[in-house]
Amino acid sequence: MSGVRRLFGRALAILAISNVTPYLAVAGPPYLGPGPAASTGIAGELRVDSWNIAAVGLKALLPEFSATYPNIHATIHMSGAQLQARFMLSLAAGVGAPDVTQLQFPEVARYAATGRLTDLTEVAQRYWKDFPEHVWKDCMHEGRIYAIPWDIGPCGVFYKRDIFERYGIDPGKIETWEDYLAAGQRLLQASGGKTRMFIHPTGFQDVMFEMLLRQRGGQIFDEAGRIAVNSSESLEVLQLLKRFVEAGTTANIQFWSQPFFGSFSTDTVATYPMAAWFGGFLQDYAPGTSGNWGVFPLPAFSPGGVRTSSYGGSAVVIPDQCVLKDAAWSFLEFMICRPASQLAHYQNFNLFPAMTTVYGDSFFDEPLVFYGGQAVRRFFTQNVERIPVMHHTQDWLETRLYVRQSLGKWAGRGMGDGAGFLADLEARLARRLDREIAPGSLSQAAP
Amino acid sequence: MGAKRRSLWAYRHFYLFISPFFILFAVLGLYPLVFSFVLSFARWDGLTEAHWVGLNNFVNLFGDELLREALWNTLVLGFLYVPPMLIGAFILACLLNTGWLRGRAFFRAAVFIPVITPMVVVALVFGLLYDYESGIFNYVLGLFGIAPVPWLVDEDWSKPALAILLVWRWTGYNMVLMLAGLQSISKEYYEAALLEGAGPLQRLRYITLPLMRPVFLFCGIMSLIGTVYMFDEIFVMTSGGPGASSLNIGLYLFNVSFVDFRFGYASTIAYTVAFFVFIATLFIFRFQRSEGN
Amino acid sequence: MEDARQRDMDGTSRARQFVVYGMLGLLALLVLFPFYWLILSAFKSKEAIFAAPPQFYLRSLELGNFNEVFEQTRFFRSFFNSVFIAVLHCTLTLFLSSLAGYAFAVYPHAPGRERLFAFVLATMMIPGVVTLIPVFTILTKLQLVNTYTAMIVPGAANAFGIFWMRQSVQQHIHPDLLDAARIDGCSEFGLYWRIALPLLRPALAALGILVLIGNWNNLMWAFIVLRTDEMYTLPLMIYLLQGEMRTPYGQVMAASLLATLPLVIAFLLFQRQFIQGIAAGAIKS
Repeated sequence: MSGVRRLFGRALAILAISNVTPYLAVAGPPYLGPGPAASTGIAGELRVDSWNIAAVGLKALLPEFSATYPNIHATIHMSGAQLQARFMLSLAAGVGAPDVTQLQFPEVARYAATGRLTDLTEVAQRYWKDFPEHVWKDCMHEGRIYAIPWDIGPCGVFYKRDIFERYGIDPGKIETWEDYLAAGQRLLQASGGKTRMFIHPTGFQDVMFEMLLRQRGGQIFDEAGRIAVNSSESLEVLQLLKRFVEAGTTANIQFWSQPFFGSFSTDTVATYPMAAWFGGFLQDYAPGTSGNWGVFPLPAFSPGGVRTSSYGGSAVVIPDQCVLKDAAWSFLEFMICRPASQLAHYQNFNLFPAMTTVYGDSFFDEPLVFYGGQAVRRFFTQNVERIPVMHHTQDWLETRLYVRQSLGKWAGRGMGDGAGFLADLEARLARRLDREIAPGSLSQAAP
Repeated sequence: MGAKRRSLWAYRHFYLFISPFFILFAVLGLYPLVFSFVLSFARWDGLTEAHWVGLNNFVNLFGDELLREALWNTLVLGFLYVPPMLIGAFILACLLNTGWLRGRAFFRAAVFIPVITPMVVVALVFGLLYDYESGIFNYVLGLFGIAPVPWLVDEDWSKPALAILLVWRWTGYNMVLMLAGLQSISKEYYEAALLEGAGPLQRLRYITLPLMRPVFLFCGIMSLIGTVYMFDEIFVMTSGGPGASSLNIGLYLFNVSFVDFRFGYASTIAYTVAFFVFIATLFIFRFQRSEGN
Repeated sequence: MEDARQRDMDGTSRARQFVVYGMLGLLALLVLFPFYWLILSAFKSKEAIFAAPPQFYLRSLELGNFNEVFEQTRFFRSFFNSVFIAVLHCTLTLFLSSLAGYAFAVYPHAPGRERLFAFVLATMMIPGVVTLIPVFTILTKLQLVNTYTAMIVPGAANAFGIFWMRQSVQQHIHPDLLDAARIDGCSEFGLYWRIALPLLRPALAALGILVLIGNWNNLMWAFIVLRTDEMYTLPLMIYLLQGEMRTPYGQVMAASLLATLPLVIAFLLFQRQFIQGIAAGAIKS
């Protein structure tokens, strides 16, 4: 046995020498920024990857950028399907990654761990104060900064004014999820079963789960990366979701499908508990509904409780294989680190600024026609400081997948015993992710 | 020794001619097989250092719910589409085998075109046909007063939706094989049967079907193996979703390899699956042969 | 009695003809319908594509989708890549397998021949997925990811190709013919190149078409090794037109139609070889 072991050990060593060695994850030296003389003469072709509305946002600022940096020619690609796999393949192959790319917050740690992203710690220092610390935390790996925050996703409930008026529901009176449920039931009854309160598809239960868990102050991992999902907070969220579904107030429509976008302009769904960026989709897909929308804070779990959460948001990175780091950084800095850019992205494409120092701008106080005159921008800034922190790990996307699958199965089987479900989920995560279970877990507390 | 060397020299052209193939084969066929086998005992993401983990990867196979699900989906999908596809291919082959048929080339071409169409295209078009609100499938169901079906967005319907697509795509292919089988049946059997006064159904029952059995078996097994390793169809159509309801082994392997970058574990799965598929195939063909005798 | 049997064999009964043609027609219609839909959608406006109830004929001819494909994607570049890769891959595969297959067939007494051939056959049993990761790693190491080579060379040493070509040589080329040419002073390579290859044309065509279709439609490997848009092949380009959330279906359909046409036209022209090739591929296992 040990002979076999040695044999394989040796074989592995040989393979390792021939294939692995040049690719050890040794992060490159930190990027120090363009030299003082260089700044105006920086030149080159940049390829930038970004997704849908964000890509349009970058394109909109491109003329201004070109005026400032006439010698940098940037092309912005809307990255299509299988974003993560493609980016990872490019990192692994050492070729084909864009010079600058947008990533979801929870992804940053994963790519940073490969050692294939440019260490931006030195150049990012200057902007440290502009972004909240918990946002920076999602951009870091082992104490180094690898990404610059772009937008965040403070949450609220988007609602259709006409439906609320028709059935006499006052959004101002919905203070707790209990109120929200009651309103949903009333709506369902009054509309003859036609109008549901919100969309909660079997296949994507994780969206609401994650949003609510964060609002409730729950975690999937504790600070040390141990599995902490089996908690009373999670249980509370599950029970809430179960009551919504069982009361018939949810619509089973797949997110981002045609029926989903279609629901914006029909009576099938009354509200969308979502993040700020969702407004961009409303404007984009249902321009005809202008004036009919409003936003109210997430209902609290108990009176006086936290009424906000965060979902989504993104950061921008420069892969290590980028040759024109000065040009890439100049682009990133111009597009993301300037207050004017952050405001423009929000104004044009609803990407809510991660840069909190711009919130003082009077721009946030403008009443918006699309929302029937409500100053929705101000609304979203109000609670940013109160968003509970959620710990993200390197394997967050994988985790999300397992949570989604488990929840889907749980929902498919009639949403049985929530405690049992959490214990199963916890065991599954521990096994699949090879992580310890946090000491505070309900399964650990049980005698 | 000298004689042997001389004979090797005498056949130098043989070795010369096969060497381009074998050199390439060694580098991109053989070495990868060994590499992947060794990797199956390691943990490696292709980026950071590899670690030797012994049999851990194989142990993990047992606790892998996704693998179990993928296996289950593969079986369900296989049994959903293979039987109707084989029956359809057989009927088509019989129809095309009719002696007096005109326009055979046209019909054969028509049912064969799906085989050569890029799968991406097929999947995208079917995506439109399956659309909940504007798709043809639900439109036709609506004509019969049947409620629309959430084809690709519901865990229970993703497999049937894929099965329909697979029947559409692969029936023509199997038809060609069946037609070849039918044409190899000697006319004498039928003439003898006619002399005995056997009707068309009896001829089918007692001549065609028994003689076609090996062809059916062959097509069936090949299709099932195809289902295990199928990739394009599912990757483009559903990406294995919703949930993991249409994830098969092929796509799961791809995901573990190039989405999760767990190269070691992926090799473990690949080898294990290949081993069992091989054993199963061998077993079935053995069984068939011994029964045929 | 005699009459009835005669009629039965010729199948001239009207009713039977009706049934057979009816069924075939219906099946052909079902099979061809998605293609009709593809063509229709390519010429539809975005709204018309998702109209409910579906529109079964064109209300207006929209060429906008094609314009968008040409403007917003590198369609012609992808088209060129696809053709270039498929042709070279096919040529390389045919050359390697016919040369080796020929050698296996005409040098029956070469030492080690049987064992080598059995070995090649044995590797045919191992599915390609097993080697995906190592080949990707090797290509990475050789810095060949995102090159044409990465699409052309792997898979060109095709075990089935050898099997198929050896069989064809045995069937179609008589050893006497080669001996006669040898006596005339033809070199060993000349025998292969000038005598054998021309006779193997049908077998080469069948194998070539099989390889060509596989390569032209290959999505997975292209997805893995082609990293930037100037390298994309058509299937990959079309696949990536899909957004994470939103897909420009008009563009996708137009590009799909353009990507499908070459193969369909080639198929209609060389139907016999195509079907032979595909049927040959089935023997593979």
